[in-house]
Parts: sequence; C-alpha cells; structure tokens
Amino acid sequence: MNVFLKELKSHRKSLIIWCVCIVLLIAMGMTKYGAFVKTGESVEEMFEALPDAMKGIFGFGTLNITEVMGYYGIFFLYFVLMATIHAAMLGASIISKEERDKTVEFLYTKPATRNKIITSKILAAFVNVLIFNITTLISSIIIVGAYNKGESVNSDIIMLMGAMFILQLMFMFIGTGIAATTKKPKLATSISTGILLFTYMLSIAVDISDKLEKFKYITPFKYFDAKILISGEGFEAIYIVLSVVIIAVFSSMTFIFYKKRDLNV
Amino acid sequence: MNMYLHELKVYRKSTIIWTCSIIALIVLMMSLFTSFSKDAELVQEMMHNFPEAMQKALGLSTLDMTSLLGYYGYLFTFILICGAIQAMNLGVGILSAEVREKTADFLLVKPVTRKKIITSKLLAALTCVVITNVLYLVAVIIRISAFKSYEYSMKLLIMISLSLFFIQLIFFSLGFIISVVVRKIKSVLPVSLGIVFGMYILNALGSAIGDEKIRYISPFRYFDVTYILENEAYEVPFMIISIVFVIIAIVASYILYSKKDINAF
Repeated sequence: MNVFLKELKSHRKSLIIWCVCIVLLIAMGMTKYGAFVKTGESVEEMFEALPDAMKGIFGFGTLNITEVMGYYGIFFLYFVLMATIHAAMLGASIISKEERDKTVEFLYTKPATRNKIITSKILAAFVNVLIFNITTLISSIIIVGAYNKGESVNSDIIMLMGAMFILQLMFMFIGTGIAATTKKPKLATSISTGILLFTYMLSIAVDISDKLEKFKYITPFKYFDAKILISGEGFEAIYIVLSVVIIAVFSSMTFIFYKKRDLNV
Repeated sequence: MNMYLHELKVYRKSTIIWTCSIIALIVLMMSLFTSFSKDAELVQEMMHNFPEAMQKALGLSTLDMTSLLGYYGYLFTFILICGAIQAMNLGVGILSAEVREKTADFLLVKPVTRKKIITSKLLAALTCVVITNVLYLVAVIIRISAFKSYEYSMKLLIMISLSLFFIQLIFFSLGFIISVVVRKIKSVLPVSLGIVFGMYILNALGSAIGDEKIRYISPFRYFDVTYILENEAYEVPFMIISIVFVIIAIVASYILYSKKDINAF
C-alpha cells in the first residue's frame, strides 16, 4: 500500500500536466469544427468519390468529417498517440526508475517481496492511465456535446475511449515488460517508445499501401479503427483476442523476469 | 578536444541507430509510391473540384501528391518528427547528463572553463546532427533517383531535405536551453518526446483547421514543403525566426550555464 501511494504521489504532477494537455487539445480541435462544418454538404459527396489510398493517407477513411463524430474520429488518432506515449513511458519508467535513480537497494531491502512491489507499482500506473482516460472521456463528452446538433454521440465516444484504454494498457505493459527484461534500465523508456513509434509509422504505411495489409496484425494502432468503431460495427473479435494476448504476455513477462532480475546497484 | 572526442564516442551508437532508422523509414515509405501513384491522376482531377475553403482546411491546397516530390514532401513530416526527437534528445541530454550521472563535480573541477565545456559539447552534438543529415541526404538522393520514369527537380529535393537540418538545429537549441534552465532533469526522453509530439500535434491540428497563427509556435511548418515546391525558396520570416531563436538560445545557454549552481549530489 505504501509503495502504491508513494508512486501515485510521485506521478501526480506529470499526470496533471498530461491531462491539461489533452483537454486543451480536444478543446482546440473542436472550436474550429463550427467554422469547418460551414463548407457544406457538397464536400461530403466528393469525399465518397475519393479512392481508398487517398483517404488513407489523410487519415479520413470512411469518416464523414462534416459530422461532429467523423471530425472527432480523425483527432482520435492523435489522442491515442498521446495516451499511448504516456502509458508506455509510465510503464517503463515506473519499474526502471529505481535503478536509474539509485534507490533500488533502499526499496528492495525492505520487507516486501518483489512481486508485491511490482504489483503495487503496476496498480499505481494503472490508476494513472485510468485517470488520464476518464479525463479524456469526460472532456470529450462535454466539448463534443457543445458542438453536436444531431443525436447524442456519447455512446460512440465511450466506445472510442474503451478502445483507447485497451491500447493504453497494452503499451503500459509493453513498457513494464521491457523494463523488467532489459539489462540497461536507462534504455527501457527509449526502447518502449521506439516500439511505439515504429508501430505508429507502420500503421501509416499500412494505410498507404494495400500490399502491407497483413502487417495490420502487428501494429496495435490498427486494431481499433475509429472509422469502423463509429460506423456501428463495434469491436472486431480477433483484435480483442490479440490485445488480450499481448497484455497477458507482457504482464507475465514483467513478473517472471523481474523476480529473477539481477538488480543494478 | 578530449571532451569533444569523448562526447562523440558516447553518442556514436545512438547516432548510428537514429540515422539508420530514419533512412530505413524513408526508403520503405518511398517504395510505396508506385502503388500510390496509380490512383494519382484520378485524384488530381478531383482535388481541383474541391471548394477552396475545403482545400485550405485540409492543408492540401498545392501539395501535389501525384508527383514524386509532393509525395516525398508529405512523408517528410514523419522524418521531421524522428529528426526532431533525435536532436531534442541530444540537446536536453548532453549537458544534463553530467548532473544526472553524478559526474558533474568530476568534470567541473578539471582545469577547463565552463564555456569550453559547453563549446565542446555543442560541437560534438552538432557533428552528430551533421553526420545524420549528410547520410540521410545521400540515401534520399539515391532512393529517389531509382524512380527513373518520374521527373523531379534535384534542387528542390535537396532544399526540402535540408530543412531537416534546420528543424534539428531549432529543436537542439530548444533542448539545450531547457537543460540549462531546469535544475535537474531526471530522464531525457519524456521531456523531448513531450515537447516534440506536442509541437507536432499542435501543427497537425493547426493545418487541419487552417489556423495560420499556430505556425509561429510550432517549428514543424517553418519550412513548409508546399511553399518550397511553389517558390523554390524558404519563407523568409520563418527563416529569420529560426536563426534568431537558435542564436538567442545558444548565447543564453552560455551565459546561464556559466553562472549555474550545479547540483553535485
């Protein structure tokens, strides 16, 4: 419990900064929606005529950007990018920082098992990620709601945030898993964000070219596509399974490898 | 000279990794051009039918995606992100490493002035950036000249690619001044990733919603590809801003670091 509370406290400041940033981002994006929507409905027809590769490269896909939810769907990718960077860095640093800051001998000579310490740390990271997600959810509902003239889109937003939460968890555990396995604790954050950037770039490449279609199973950014989620088809079972597998693998990796880890003092 | 060589050695590995991944990224993305350009002419026609407000809002007013350089210019954003992170890491890390690794007292009691320390570190970082840029430029020229059936201007290609160097300089000096001002930076990556992605998202939002003022805040569009392609020149006001910013940041770093209270514990 002590470790849990201590971690919450030491990540409080950065969590507040992240939350303020995401709220500002949402607000900024949506304030311009009003001006944007005035370009009229003729635009909508033109969009539908665009070839897929072209839509992919602009990140629109089948989204109708003149509707509030379609517009929001485009920015969803940016929210996800921010949220996953936060999660990956948090996951990697919460485990590796003891060695980095040379507090590891202090902590691990305390009468608590490694498993217990890791569990509290992961729980603390989980709470951070959850708070970040809820902040995004609430501010999205309020801000999007203010611009929405049609029917309620809250259920769509909740679904998107659900998808974002799964992605956040995935990258958080990738972070902890890498922190537990790498020899050099200092590199843990770099490696996890490297993986994140690589998969993000890969998801863009998949958008551009049909030939890379198969790679969409490798990059988590393609698991939950805003356009598919909003269009009412909901989550695809295979991606849910894949996400659960990734989370399971990396979380067990964290515990198993950390237990045997030769701590760097 | 000793410090310069030592820093070069420290950053050798990371420079190699960054350079290789940036080159791999552009080579991979460029190889998707042929499949992309099939749709090209059809799209071209359609673009002209878009209402002007719409074109502006999408930020694609003149970026001709069907041409080799237009496509390259679009992808160049992603190269800029990577380059900016690399430069920012260097900038934030190279001075703050001494305090973080607790080697500051060792270095600062050596018979060299602080100014000299800064100069050697600056030069070492600059060398890394220059090496990255030279290799990148060579790789891009080779890759693009492999497209035999397309016409492009070599001058424009070099001008676009060279803006990577300027963007890196801006982010490097931003990182440098931050590392001097902040008392102690525990971990480099969160700082640099946060700022680079913040700027990137700001710029993406700015161009999506057509807000010109945001351009002054985020360096990512200081060297706008569209403008370069159209006018065969950089935009003078942004060029001036960049130069002034870099000079001020570096001079301020010298002054502040000479008086800085270094934390030796």
